Amino acid sequence: MDPNIPRKHSFMTGVPFLGRGRALQPQELALGRSRVLPATEAPRVGLARGFLPSDNTPPGRGVTLPVSQTVFGRARGLLSQLDVGEVAGRARGLLLPSLEPQVGLARGTLLTSLEPPPGRTPGSGATAQKPTETPSTKEVDLPDNDGTLVSMMRGIGVDPSMATWGRGNIPLGRGPAVDAGTVTIQAAPVGVTSNLESFGKPEEVMGRGSSFGARGLSLQTMAGLGRAAPPQLGPGRGRAVLCSLPQSPVKSSPVVAVEQQTALSVTSSATAPKPLELPASEPEDTAVKTEVVRESLNKTGTKGCPIEIASNHVPICCQNKAVYQYHVTFSPNVESMGMRFGMMKEHRPTTGEVVAFDGSILYLPMKLDDVALKSVRLTDQEEIQIQIRMTKILPPSSDLCLPFYNVVVRRVMKMLGLKLVGRNHYNPESAVILGKHRLQVWPGYATCIKHTDGGLYFCVDVSHKVLRNDSVLDVMNVLFQESKQNFHDECAKELVGSIVITRYNNRTYRIDDIEWDKSPNDTFPLMDGTKTTFVDYYHKNYGITIKEMNQPLLVHRPKERSKPGGKQIITGEILIVPELSFLTGIPEKMKSNMKLMKDLTMHINASSEQHTQSIGKLLKNISTKPECVKEFGRWGLKISSEILLMKGRTLPMENICMKSSSFSSGTDGRWSNKVVRDASISSVPLNNWAIFYAQRCAAEAEELSNVFIKLSGPMGVKVGRPRLVPMKNDYTDTYVKSIHAQVTSEPDLQLVVCIVTGNRDDLYGAIKKLCCVQNPIPSQVVNVRTISQPQKLKSVAQMILLQINGKLGGELWTVNVPLKLLMVVGVDVHHDATKRNRSVMGFVASMNSALTRWYSRVTFQGPGQEVIDGFRECFVEALRQYYEVNHSFPEKIVVYRDGVSEGQVAMVEQFEIPQLIKCFQNIGNYEPKMVFILVQKRINTTLYTRVSNTFSTPPPGTILDHTLTKRDWVDFYLLAHSIRHGCGVPTHYICLYNTVNLPVDHLQRLTFKMCHLYWNFPGTVRVPAPCKYAHKLAYLAGQYLRAQPALQLADKLFFL
Amino acid sequence: MFSPPLHRQRHQFVVDFVNKNKPQKVADLGCSECTLLMKLKFHRDIELLVGVDIDGAKLKKKWQGLGPLSTDYLQPSYYQLRIELYQGSVTQKDARLRGFDLVTSVELIEHLTLADLGQFSDVVFGYMIPAVAIISTPNAEFNTLLPGLTGFRHHDHKFEWTRAEFQSWALGVALQYGYEVEFTGVGPAPLGQQDAVGFCTQIGVFRRLRQRPSCRAVFGVDVEELFSYELLYSITYPSLRDNNTLRKFLVAEVLCFAEELKQRWMEERMAASDGSLLQTEGGAEAHQAASGQRVEARENPTACGPEDENLMGQRGLGLFMTQEEANQGAQEESPSVHRFVAVPLASLWTSPKVSALSGSLRNLRHFLMEEPTVRLSQDGSAVMLKEEDLDEGSFHAEDGDYGEANQCSQPPEQGEEWEASV
Repeated sequence: MDPNIPRKHSFMTGVPFLGRGRALQPQELALGRSRVLPATEAPRVGLARGFLPSDNTPPGRGVTLPVSQTVFGRARGLLSQLDVGEVAGRARGLLLPSLEPQVGLARGTLLTSLEPPPGRTPGSGATAQKPTETPSTKEVDLPDNDGTLVSMMRGIGVDPSMATWGRGNIPLGRGPAVDAGTVTIQAAPVGVTSNLESFGKPEEVMGRGSSFGARGLSLQTMAGLGRAAPPQLGPGRGRAVLCSLPQSPVKSSPVVAVEQQTALSVTSSATAPKPLELPASEPEDTAVKTEVVRESLNKTGTKGCPIEIASNHVPICCQNKAVYQYHVTFSPNVESMGMRFGMMKEHRPTTGEVVAFDGSILYLPMKLDDVALKSVRLTDQEEIQIQIRMTKILPPSSDLCLPFYNVVVRRVMKMLGLKLVGRNHYNPESAVILGKHRLQVWPGYATCIKHTDGGLYFCVDVSHKVLRNDSVLDVMNVLFQESKQNFHDECAKELVGSIVITRYNNRTYRIDDIEWDKSPNDTFPLMDGTKTTFVDYYHKNYGITIKEMNQPLLVHRPKERSKPGGKQIITGEILIVPELSFLTGIPEKMKSNMKLMKDLTMHINASSEQHTQSIGKLLKNISTKPECVKEFGRWGLKISSEILLMKGRTLPMENICMKSSSFSSGTDGRWSNKVVRDASISSVPLNNWAIFYAQRCAAEAEELSNVFIKLSGPMGVKVGRPRLVPMKNDYTDTYVKSIHAQVTSEPDLQLVVCIVTGNRDDLYGAIKKLCCVQNPIPSQVVNVRTISQPQKLKSVAQMILLQINGKLGGELWTVNVPLKLLMVVGVDVHHDATKRNRSVMGFVASMNSALTRWYSRVTFQGPGQEVIDGFRECFVEALRQYYEVNHSFPEKIVVYRDGVSEGQVAMVEQFEIPQLIKCFQNIGNYEPKMVFILVQKRINTTLYTRVSNTFSTPPPGTILDHTLTKRDWVDFYLLAHSIRHGCGVPTHYICLYNTVNLPVDHLQRLTFKMCHLYWNFPGTVRVPAPCKYAHKLAYLAGQYLRAQPALQLADKLFFL
Repeated sequence: MFSPPLHRQRHQFVVDFVNKNKPQKVADLGCSECTLLMKLKFHRDIELLVGVDIDGAKLKKKWQGLGPLSTDYLQPSYYQLRIELYQGSVTQKDARLRGFDLVTSVELIEHLTLADLGQFSDVVFGYMIPAVAIISTPNAEFNTLLPGLTGFRHHDHKFEWTRAEFQSWALGVALQYGYEVEFTGVGPAPLGQQDAVGFCTQIGVFRRLRQRPSCRAVFGVDVEELFSYELLYSITYPSLRDNNTLRKFLVAEVLCFAEELKQRWMEERMAASDGSLLQTEGGAEAHQAASGQRVEARENPTACGPEDENLMGQRGLGLFMTQEEANQGAQEESPSVHRFVAVPLASLWTSPKVSALSGSLRNLRHFLMEEPTVRLSQDGSAVMLKEEDLDEGSFHAEDGDYGEANQCSQPPEQGEEWEASV
């Protein structure tokens, strides 16, 4: 603690912090991990088997939450928050980032210490400087004096040598004193910990092999000892987790909750570690701690044939032993970040040239003994003391290092002459110009450095940027020619949401609006306060003459964010001159142009071979450029010259079941010819249906109905003669009126088929809106183009017939899932690109054990609204529906959740899952088991397979569940679909919650099975069918309906 | 104290000079982190921009910023720019820096010892012999107005001159090497003190006299070719003066415009045929109809020749349909694949962009003939475009879901695969 700060700071409320501990014992490779999670709501939620109802804990009393259970995968005692004062919601989930765990090496060579939280001002951080305080204490100011705190710890233990694993959850709660409000909580990480004074005991514990002891190291200036609670013993290998909380300066007793958890395989004898007495004072010299690489969770399955797999990841070898983290204190305090950087720069002779400094935390590739430096503040000539104190020794692969490694990567890409557009680097020299469409395609790379289970990797994805040849002004001119009346609207439609790059810098901006009342002759204020016009500004600074004075300005509204390290917040709009900016990306209009997309994908869809070649080229360029190699070398990084090769597996093929036959899905994962040879599982007789068409398509309509009737026999569907409804023209209005009239006059009508011409988004939308919202009835829109070729008509009609059957509630095919009373749920979210409309969540849940009946719902979210509100509602509704159909609730629920961005994973884990579990409470006496799996399709991992030195795409069913997997989760990559063009981007699945105890193998196979069930395509698809359905539903609702579809349709796949 | 800051004012002085005098070859001696070069690179009258500094590390620090911007590749200009950075000392000669239109050395000479300064004048004025040299240095008389300053403004300064000292040096040099010099500066003194103190930074603008007394040949053959500088970086900006670039862009423009003309023409044709023909049932009929149309269309080009440009837009675009004889027999299945729409070059010429890029019709033809991706008619008077086969872009129902397997940054979402609505 900064000496200048009055002592009373330590009498503020303590805060739970995120701690992560692990221990690595060389012989045993035992490790543990713990996590402390704060919660927001008062009710306590135990996420494991025992689900505890919410209750208010009396203030000042301890609570123990014992939750124990055998879990495969991960169990989690979800933490909760004890609402201590009478005021609900008083609790504050404060989380201090990145408090690193204490780690003890078995031999006691352990160093413990506190890592100062980054970004904190020196004034309030750095508690470790006080000898009397424990290294792991964090204190922060809270506005009110009594805080309520709960922390939850989760521990895991892995014994890789046994190939079994488990994870213990330790909910650790503490009720602080209400009357005083000064609480210090210390949560000790799980892990083998030792320190100089208690050296003997941990050793004893560890002597038993795979057992863990965790302690709260607590040192109080006043009260002294922490307490340790003995763990409960579970069957099998015992893992003892001990946590203790210190006493706070005021009277309040600590709460200890211990949960213990066992691994799957019960092997060695249980060991109960003894509670450890904590030393009354911590030696001062344990200030520096060492972060050790954690072992990965056990998440590898065994089923399937081995296959050699390569990926777009390049191993990185770390030549340095460690990266050293230092805390830099300026005294007297220097507020200005710029000045801090400047002062550190002066001391390069001491620190060396290779530094990463964020204003208070300094990383160096070399070891510095604690140093005190001096600088003179130029503004007032005051002498500033700079103290550089080592806080931690990091392994070179530490997550903390990744940000500045990525800076190195960006620098190297620049050195290679690649241009930064958005976040990726492209090579305009080898641009492909698609003259016909006024587009350019630039080849390039998306690069980053990742730390996965296998270590540190340089991830290179081949990327292509599509750019327009024309300036935004040119595009506007074209739009003006096309529609003079709606010019403003058309411009907004075309431009808002697009990304532009400018003529004068390399930045990209998203267009958020168009300012029609401004022109380049308008003025804007410069940094120094003077005003200048856009015309003058660009002429003076960039020598650019703006030619068109009568153009509006584009508006970009940056997201609110603070400048790095500083307090200043960047706000306000940025105005961009259309003449000086170029659009990037594929224009919305062109996306429906099949020909263009074909041209584009030809260039963009690189095969695996092209992919690996282009990655190889980059690696060669790097290795042959000494300055690039040197740049990496500054941090001791050495990039391998080859991409990563490893062993994956191909899951066995599935059997597709139809009404009276079943067949293997085939090596290419497609069964389009087989699916029409046998009858579907069930078909809805189509007796009463109508075809709507414009007069000029009469022949096609007639032909289509004939073909349907002819084909229906072999496919096992009964199709009667349709009512032919010709219309005099093909206006949208005519369609809508005709359909409406027909549907209202004939309530028994089963299906509406519309034959349309051309790309008519508006017409499609109008028909769907009518048939899904106003007059609920299944509808099928057919473009005349697809049925006008006689030689293709048969196969197209077969597919349409299947699709219609699906929409009417028929069942096409299924695969065998050997789980009883199972409900599979799929969720996806559709966001409007222009951000003008609300986001839509599509929700689909299976209603029978064959997974052939689905219940679907849609919810809309306003800006800032969380997905979970609608999610919960849909979930309850689906459960109710399931009960109605099956007269029982599902015992097992598997949720596939798509549409979660990388940054939201923690949110889903901490809030969404507990909220879902809460739904079960509403139904009395119901405790189903649940698996919650996140589905991520947009990832930059690519998989190849290598056959005799050439790379190709892996077959459908390829699984990768090690090396590239995330260290914190049970996850795997599954490539389910077969790829004809392009290369293999697998889908990433993260299992966040698993109380069904599904083994990894089953988890993977269930997911693969789900990829077989998308009825719109007789083959395997990228994501599980429920997700795909949810996606399709959300897209339809968000893009066309903009409203909740009628509930009458909810039990059919009307959106197919 | 100054607004904008003095270092920017110095650079702005040079930029203003460049704007006014439009030199083509410019060198900045002692360019340090290339700040001035970064401003100058936007002034496209400059064709060669060179930076020299003795500190290679400093040069390397920011040089990435000197490269072309992404947009320079999207719409290359006619201007040509090449940037080169050298590591070397201004007291040494290098033949690559001779014959420049402008050489600047901003706040450089005060870092040289007086002996080196002599060498410097010899190298710059006696060897490089630029048309204009701009040399700036601190004005020592102004130092009294700088608060808290004792000694020199920078610890590395070897001297700081008064106006008189600078002027006497400059005049001496000018006399010796045949230059005239004009004195000015940036950073004026507070009101009323300008005469007594002068500018904070004094600047001498040296202009080579036309009649040079010691007229050794400027690029004399007798002068040894010296290469004492090390070239660290060089970049050539994309420019339409480069024939490859020009052809690439011209072809793109031609194809785009030709496609547009074709589209218009086909629509007009459709509108016309809609009246006469009711509904084309199969491929055969459509074929016949098109052939009939072809005869009509054939007459058009003569009717509206290039002499009657006004009619082009209204009566016809001068396009006509043609067929490839050779392939016709082979594939009767899909006759449309081998039908072409001919777009006369004269029609293409009406696009302002095409005409601006190619300069003349002859050039246009010449460019297009060299380009393998463009198909010209036999006499080279028209660009042949495949008649759009409406079904060519159609998709197989099976492929629908694989659109998203694409690797592009924004995967194109394809429409429903069986429900061909989009």
